[in-house]
Amino acid sequence: MNRTLSVVRLQLVNTQTFVWVPLLVLGGAFLVTMTIFALLPVEGIVGGGAQAPMWYFLVVGVQSLTLTFPFSQALSVTRREFYLGTVLTALLASAALAVTYVLGGLLEEATGGFGTGSVFFQVPGVWSDGWAVAGLVYLVLSFAFFKVGFFCAVVYKRFGTLVLTAGLIVLALLVLVALWAITRAEAWGQVAAWVADAGVLGLTLWSLPVLALLALASYGLLRRALP
Amino acid sequence: MSSVIEVQNLTKRYRETTALDDVSFSIEQDAIYGLLGRNGAGKTTAMSILTAQNFATSGQVRVFGQAPFENPAVLSRMCFVRESQKYPDDATGRHALRMARLFFPRWDEDLAQDLVEEFELPVKRRIKKLSRGQLSAVGVIIGLASRAEVTFFDEPYLGLDAVARQLFYDRLLQDYAAHPRTVVLSSHLIDEVAPLLERVLVIDRGRILLDEDTDALRGRASAVVGSSAAVEDFVAGREVIHTERLGRVTSATVLGGLSEQDRQRLREADLDVAPVSLQQLVVRLARRAEDSAPKHQELVP
Repeated sequence: MNRTLSVVRLQLVNTQTFVWVPLLVLGGAFLVTMTIFALLPVEGIVGGGAQAPMWYFLVVGVQSLTLTFPFSQALSVTRREFYLGTVLTALLASAALAVTYVLGGLLEEATGGFGTGSVFFQVPGVWSDGWAVAGLVYLVLSFAFFKVGFFCAVVYKRFGTLVLTAGLIVLALLVLVALWAITRAEAWGQVAAWVADAGVLGLTLWSLPVLALLALASYGLLRRALP
Repeated sequence: MSSVIEVQNLTKRYRETTALDDVSFSIEQDAIYGLLGRNGAGKTTAMSILTAQNFATSGQVRVFGQAPFENPAVLSRMCFVRESQKYPDDATGRHALRMARLFFPRWDEDLAQDLVEEFELPVKRRIKKLSRGQLSAVGVIIGLASRAEVTFFDEPYLGLDAVARQLFYDRLLQDYAAHPRTVVLSSHLIDEVAPLLERVLVIDRGRILLDEDTDALRGRASAVVGSSAAVEDFVAGREVIHTERLGRVTSATVLGGLSEQDRQRLREADLDVAPVSLQQLVVRLARRAEDSAPKHQELVP
């Protein structure tokens, strides 16, 4: 059998990491949110609980490298096979999550917020262009969370805590500089217009080149990583 | 016999230390090798580079005639579970074996299951909750059941009790006889693994000190046993590497082969010749090989 596909199976042998925990996180967030909605005397609240599994994907991204990569090396898997197989697994898991979100959103719409009149899945903005775009957004977003976790883990593996932390600080400073520059240029109006113009679909598509860059960088770093 | 691994001028430098210093050796097909040396001698580094888990600073490694790095055709024929192997989070022993099965073309599931029973490995328990010995057992089972053409065992006995260690040695020999392959066993417990080894590579501070057939190595020394006076008389003027006394009986290990004349003398003096401890031999030969080096502790306690 193709060894890259075997890596997918390797990542999925323990179904807990990729299947049960994300479901549990989503289910738990859903239950808690619904309980709160039911307790509150108002309708039309937008809950933020649906993002919970995405944060877990950050953790999965980290763990798939720090814990599974060393074992894959013992099983004589090349770094390339490991990388491709792991990315494929993350895509599959993200797709499954996206499908769950879309189904949840449609069900929510049909049942009037599961009888609460509030919103858990159909977050405004994300759903403004229909369920298909919403599904794509969820897919890309989940994958992005995974990818960021994976990238940070590779940087950590190659260069250690100090470089990772320094890198994150530099990134934060760059973002601050950008914000300052926009404020200084009094360009917030234009930025807002651009965001509105691009729409949720446009923003998602714009994130793809960034993700591709992250993916290439992760692979480049992984090629010289030690288990 | 043909060689499956060729190493030329391999050097591995870390920031402050040189783990391997211009090392060259080759490993023949279908033999059991002992990679012997003290902790930190460079054993694990060497095995890591051979399996492309680590990178050489300079030098060349060829496995089955090719460079192993990112080479699935070569890597899939090798197995190296390291002594401090990490496993996926929350994985159980059963998970680990199921994962291993995916990647080794010659994996034998029946053998794996037999070994699980014999080592009494609790396969449903999470690996991070296993004892040191059980952890070693996971590595041993994967190594044996992989039937990889080149299998490395990295101090596989850590934490295993005497019974489990013997079980490993027995099963290794048994399976090796039925399915000949190349086995490299790293160890600092030389005498314990000695009966398994056909050839030894002794590595010390990043250098190869000995690369010899076990039998030839044993032939380089003999233990002379008998009454103390007769033994002392016989060994006078020879290099003695080890002496043991029990009452009036002395056993002295002398370096150098025994000539026919020597044997004649031994018979006349009513002395016996016994097999030597490979460990003592290796320690002493290693010392001799680095005469100029400063004093350091024994290869093993």
